[in-house]
Amino acid sequence: MYDGGIYRSNELLEMIEDVGGVVIQKTRSAQMFTVTMSIPGEDKDAMEKMCRSIGGTVRSVPLAGTEIAIIGPTLGRHHMPHPVCDIAEILRQSGAITVVMGLARGRGKATSQISVQEMDIINEYDAAVFVLGNFKTCVEAKKHLFEKIRVPVILVSGPMPDGLEECCEAIVPGVGRRSERMRSPEDRKKLEEISDKVDEVIRARKKMIEEDPLFVHPAEIKQLLEEYEPIKECLRPAPMVLHLDGLRLKISMKDNIKAISDMSVYGRRLGDIAEISESRINDSSMIVRIMTRSEINDRDADA
Amino acid sequence: MEVNVTGPEEYGNKAYRTLFENVMNELGSSVSIEKAELYMDPVTPLFILSVVMRSRPESKKISDTASIRTEGNDVHITISDENYAHEIFSALERIYGRNSVDQQTRFDLKIENGDDDLIANTEIASEEDAKKEMIGAMWRVLPEGIKARHNISEGRIITIAATEEIVTDHIKSEAMRIHNGTKGDADV
Repeated sequence: MYDGGIYRSNELLEMIEDVGGVVIQKTRSAQMFTVTMSIPGEDKDAMEKMCRSIGGTVRSVPLAGTEIAIIGPTLGRHHMPHPVCDIAEILRQSGAITVVMGLARGRGKATSQISVQEMDIINEYDAAVFVLGNFKTCVEAKKHLFEKIRVPVILVSGPMPDGLEECCEAIVPGVGRRSERMRSPEDRKKLEEISDKVDEVIRARKKMIEEDPLFVHPAEIKQLLEEYEPIKECLRPAPMVLHLDGLRLKISMKDNIKAISDMSVYGRRLGDIAEISESRINDSSMIVRIMTRSEINDRDADA
Repeated sequence: MEVNVTGPEEYGNKAYRTLFENVMNELGSSVSIEKAELYMDPVTPLFILSVVMRSRPESKKISDTASIRTEGNDVHITISDENYAHEIFSALERIYGRNSVDQQTRFDLKIENGDDDLIANTEIASEEDAKKEMIGAMWRVLPEGIKARHNISEGRIITIAATEEIVTDHIKSEAMRIHNGTKGDADV
């Protein structure tokens, strides 16, 4: 991730293109500019040298190209903004795009619930971090909130719960409900531990995807769509967000499905190599899930 | 502020002590608390918070929080307790209208053709308000899902028992036991 000023940033963007890299995310705030990029390993040193020469810094961000949901039991002041937003911040520093979400009825030991729509929304992300409270019995009683989630779940709680290892990929105890920011050195260490656990989980998921690779890398679809007019005109901060197995497009599905499905990718229609569906959040964004090579081969064999 | 926490889960007890202290500090209520007793039972679940305030909540008039003097037809007010500045402004604007309340400095106000007796006796905070504020702060400490609550208020002691479903007689008697225990020798 490049972090620096806007001055001479066009040279950086040109170099990314020259080495055959991809811009994953570009964020400009006044004179500050951050670019999350993916470049070949052999060009790393040259890129670092170039970033330094234009007055910026460059660091490696293991969670780049992922979108992660951080979920609290509700959006009420008992559960937000701390520590949910601190966790979101540390994951953003590692390159992830984060979304903070509060369940509608996630509070209470016996009365907490999660709806099918909420589960569907969470399943759109690459991983979900559930942040629960300070009592072991309550955390254990709330396992139904995440046991049916299909994407990897990382549970962050106060005490270490028993019997939840089967329902989630990782558990990080020692946080719980808080009313202040996580600023102390111990807290920062804990946040780094959470970030490392998420990184581990994402690596495992990447490895799983590598066993049956995607027909095309999501970044290639992103490059293709960069010239698509509605995406260029979209005023939302990140109109395209990369996922491990596809991408989220923040444009209406109703108006764009035909044009996007008909785009050509390695001689095939995009609609034939990816499942395109409307996001469960609302109708202003869509999810593109790229099929694996074996899925495409099966389809070809059936045809 | 002395805080005692009891309950079966050590981690939760420690975390809730910190949470209670932080919430009360944030809301500026810790200075008015002498002692607090927290009973945390997440298994039932039953949470009881009992607080002894330093002084009995009383109603406040403008004369309790500011000095008032008359010069000719004008009344001059100097605010001595800034915590009530907003309430003083609101009360005066309600009586005399926004244009008649002239704020000269951060603490000094001038009212044209004001009545010093009326101003001095205008109530800006009631006893109930102080209690409501404390109960609000205590609710903020309690877990969000524990919605069925039972309040006991006596003099300068406020106790809240909270559970998830029905407030039974047992819960009420348990709350009363902790309330009486907190009261101890305190002069309520």
